[in-house]
Amino acid sequence: MKIRWPHYLMIAPVQSMLVVIILAPTAYVGWLSFNQSTFGLDTSFVGWQNYAFIVTDPQFWRAFLNTFIVVNAVVYGELALGLAIAVLFASGVPFRRVLISIVLAPYAISPVLGVLMWKYMLEPDVGVLNYALTWLGLRQLEWTINPTHGLVVIILLSIWMHTPFTFVITYSAILAIPTVMFEAARVDGANSLQIFRRITVPVIMPSIFIALMFRYVVAFRIFSEVWILTKGGPVWKTETLAIYLYRYGFRYHEFGVASATGWAMLLATLLIAAYYFRLMYKRMFVYED
Amino acid sequence: MKTKRLIGTGVKLLLALLVAAWSGFPILLVLISSFKRTADIFEFPPRFVFMPTLDNYVTLYREWPEFFGKLFNSLVITIGATLLTLVVTTMAGYVYSRYRNRLLTTSAFFMIVIRMLPPIIITIPLFPALNYLGLIDTHILLIVLYSTFYVSLSTWIMKACIDQIPRSMEEAAFVDGASLTQTLTLVTLPLALQGVLAAAVFVLAYSWNEFLFAFIFTSSNAKTAPLIISEMLGSVTGVNWGPLFAAATLQIVPILVFVIAMQKYLVAGLTAGATKE
Repeated sequence: MKIRWPHYLMIAPVQSMLVVIILAPTAYVGWLSFNQSTFGLDTSFVGWQNYAFIVTDPQFWRAFLNTFIVVNAVVYGELALGLAIAVLFASGVPFRRVLISIVLAPYAISPVLGVLMWKYMLEPDVGVLNYALTWLGLRQLEWTINPTHGLVVIILLSIWMHTPFTFVITYSAILAIPTVMFEAARVDGANSLQIFRRITVPVIMPSIFIALMFRYVVAFRIFSEVWILTKGGPVWKTETLAIYLYRYGFRYHEFGVASATGWAMLLATLLIAAYYFRLMYKRMFVYED
Repeated sequence: MKTKRLIGTGVKLLLALLVAAWSGFPILLVLISSFKRTADIFEFPPRFVFMPTLDNYVTLYREWPEFFGKLFNSLVITIGATLLTLVVTTMAGYVYSRYRNRLLTTSAFFMIVIRMLPPIIITIPLFPALNYLGLIDTHILLIVLYSTFYVSLSTWIMKACIDQIPRSMEEAAFVDGASLTQTLTLVTLPLALQGVLAAAVFVLAYSWNEFLFAFIFTSSNAKTAPLIISEMLGSVTGVNWGPLFAAATLQIVPILVFVIAMQKYLVAGLTAGATKE
């Protein structure tokens, strides 16, 4: 079948949505990042000034550091947990179907509701978790006043919300390993730990890489969980880059600074995804006619 | 040997229960607490057997009557975004599956790249532009925004699904004189139903639960359920947990039931979207 103009018309809606709503505004933000812009004043070109502003602003670096800590803690915490659950389930557990449903359940939960649950469990003195911490003779999590504790809660609830993704990717990858590989290893006298380290992990490594990349990209833009829980406070100490952008764009109406932050986030994201892009590029353009 | 295996199963079951508690306990706690009396909500340890009451639902209806309208907004926006996504991506997925040339491959690669961009960036220029067009706080705006952020994944899933359908089916229809539209709706679409369901799970769960765009682009008319729940949660006069749990339960139950029912498609879609070409 030869491609004709109606076929191009069929991809037009999807492509135009992406161009009009994502590509064009993103490019415009790139231009805006080199301008001073606010309500009621003419936009004027200022060169690299907005970028100079953010790289010399300690609050930007605080937001960067928070994002860096949260992203790494969340991504590797999820990987450890998701992989552990995947290995456990793949080894055969009773009630597997029900258990998988329960593990996937947080995927259905809104970030707003995720925050609600953890906030309820961590209410000072009365929340179940804080009560249990006191009961065990430990310190309570004082997330409303202590920024470190605030970040800990954000990390915990993000891991809780996104483990289903890492679990599904690693679990499917493990199930795809031919069972003869495990059987052969058993015959050769390998124990479970050796099988995990020498067979499971190396074979599913490509899937682990992709799961990590996707989670890095998505965790890096974290906004809702932080905003609903702490609004970035106390005194911007729990801010992430997306919250910093929001504060400059929608509170101070300094669109140039917000845009520079946006493009800094964009470039970091593209850098994280570069390896994946290269991989996809090679696979896709190889079929070239 | 037998006892050893029995212990192994016991340990596995224990670990599995811990996993289930970690994932399920927070959700269960909210659903159950919505039927408790206010005085019992912070009881420790939390009780799972008690006389249920609908008091919290009554209070929710009395003090936050607008919640039900916002829940309806969520429903309208979710259905709209899902339908829009499915229509445009079934068409695109078909073309990407059946044809290949440099232009198509380039545009497919463009979709992969654009899927990575952080959504918050576009809020900066969109806010004044939409304000000018009078589109702020409308249902159609959220429908289009939500759909746009899922057309890439959805096209991918549809393409992967249509790849499995033999071309001979369509060719036979064309030989019999069917038009492109007829072939697509009567031959390809029914066979691609799995893909349609897989694509639907993602955009549906996202639209029902999204916070950022709803927070920035709505104020009253098109406000969604997650947004009003976040306002109840952030109340300066202190959180009234009873009605909040009632609202949370009404928001969670439909999507939870749907996602669990669609579990098979969720798993298939996640793996296809992340790892397949």
